[in-house]
Amino acid sequence: VTFEEAQRELEQIVERLERGDAGLDEAIKLWERGEELYKRCVGQLDAAQGKIEELARRVESAKPA
Amino acid sequence: VKVEAIQYGDRKVYTVASFNRGVADWLSRLPTIWVEGEVTELRRNARWQSVFFTLKDPSDGACLGVTIARSRFDALRLDLGDGERVHVFGRPELFEAKGDFRIRALSIERFGLGDHLAALERLKKKLAADGVFERKRPLPLIPRRIGLVTGNDAAAKRDLLTTITGRFPAARIVVAETYVQGPFAATAMVDALRDVCAAPEVDVVVLARGGGSFEDLLPFSDERLVRAVATCPVPVVSAVGHEQDTPLCDLAADARASTPTAAARLVVPDASELVSRLDRSRGALARGARGVLERRRQRLEHTHERLRRAPALAVERKRARLEHSAGRLRALSPRATLQRGYAIVRSGNAIVRSPAAVSSGDEIDVEVADGRFGARVE
Repeated sequence: VTFEEAQRELEQIVERLERGDAGLDEAIKLWERGEELYKRCVGQLDAAQGKIEELARRVESAKPA
Repeated sequence: VKVEAIQYGDRKVYTVASFNRGVADWLSRLPTIWVEGEVTELRRNARWQSVFFTLKDPSDGACLGVTIARSRFDALRLDLGDGERVHVFGRPELFEAKGDFRIRALSIERFGLGDHLAALERLKKKLAADGVFERKRPLPLIPRRIGLVTGNDAAAKRDLLTTITGRFPAARIVVAETYVQGPFAATAMVDALRDVCAAPEVDVVVLARGGGSFEDLLPFSDERLVRAVATCPVPVVSAVGHEQDTPLCDLAADARASTPTAAARLVVPDASELVSRLDRSRGALARGARGVLERRRQRLEHTHERLRRAPALAVERKRARLEHSAGRLRALSPRATLQRGYAIVRSGNAIVRSPAAVSSGDEIDVEVADGRFGARVE
């Protein structure tokens, strides 16, 4: 699952919940699913940030004086 | 010599002499006219009665022999040199002994400044109509090699080389030295231009000369050179220093510069500026990547905040709806009506809706909000 797909699903869940037309049991299930998606997205962002910072460090150290 | 044919049966045959005689006769009836061209191969000998030269058309090289009486030529005091443009006034004639066609000149006038200007203006119109001035191609950002067509000791060349290597030390330059002045300059420059373009990897050519008088710069308006510039396979920068009259090669070139130094700035970028621009781009690249990440994170956090509030909100909504239903339920029950001061009157178990349902002395039962009590009908 890509970051964008997970984020899209998360946003759809939030919209659904905010509309208030889900049953109570379903709303709780949606919430749990949303939190799971959020954790996954944050993990992917953290990984991307790590890569960017690593690359920036390498570029910086390779820079001619 | 009389023009008489010899009869061979039914075939009329002329001797060479009588043929030439006849043609010469016919030519001599043509009017006296002016012819324009460039002087080449001028031959004057004190022992000869006539002076000879060839008049050449500068646009296509067509040739015409000219002869003029030596005394007449000397009297004109023209001191003509090869390549000079003249108007010749004379009549066509045939030199019978050789069968040579030529023009017998009565007078010769050197092409004046006004004539040059008028001729340039005509040439400019003609070239413009041919679309020679329309092609403007972009110059390469970093040429692999630069062709340079210039005079052999020109300050123009030095200025160009200094500025080019100063701005872009890695620049490679192919120099073609050539005449840039005089009767052979135009063709020499055409050849040099062709040679320099044929050198491998040449991406741009600079045609340079550091200024000069109107006459000095005439080769830069020569039709052959102007057309060669326009059809050059790589872009041409014209860098002919001039004060007023723009040489036509300036109009045909893809770019023009007022000085050799300006031309150098056109053909190579400033290497140090290029490097700092690259550095700025790299900085922007890192900022861009971080920015993308940051925006995603913000959007995700915003969504998460909404998600966090959503279940409580959903329960709250459901509770509110429940309360609403309860409220409506209560409003619809008769007890609420009693609260407002109404009473339910019962006789036996039936609710009394009309005075006719009871008679005087009947025991009735009255229910109000807080309870009930008995009564008697009067």
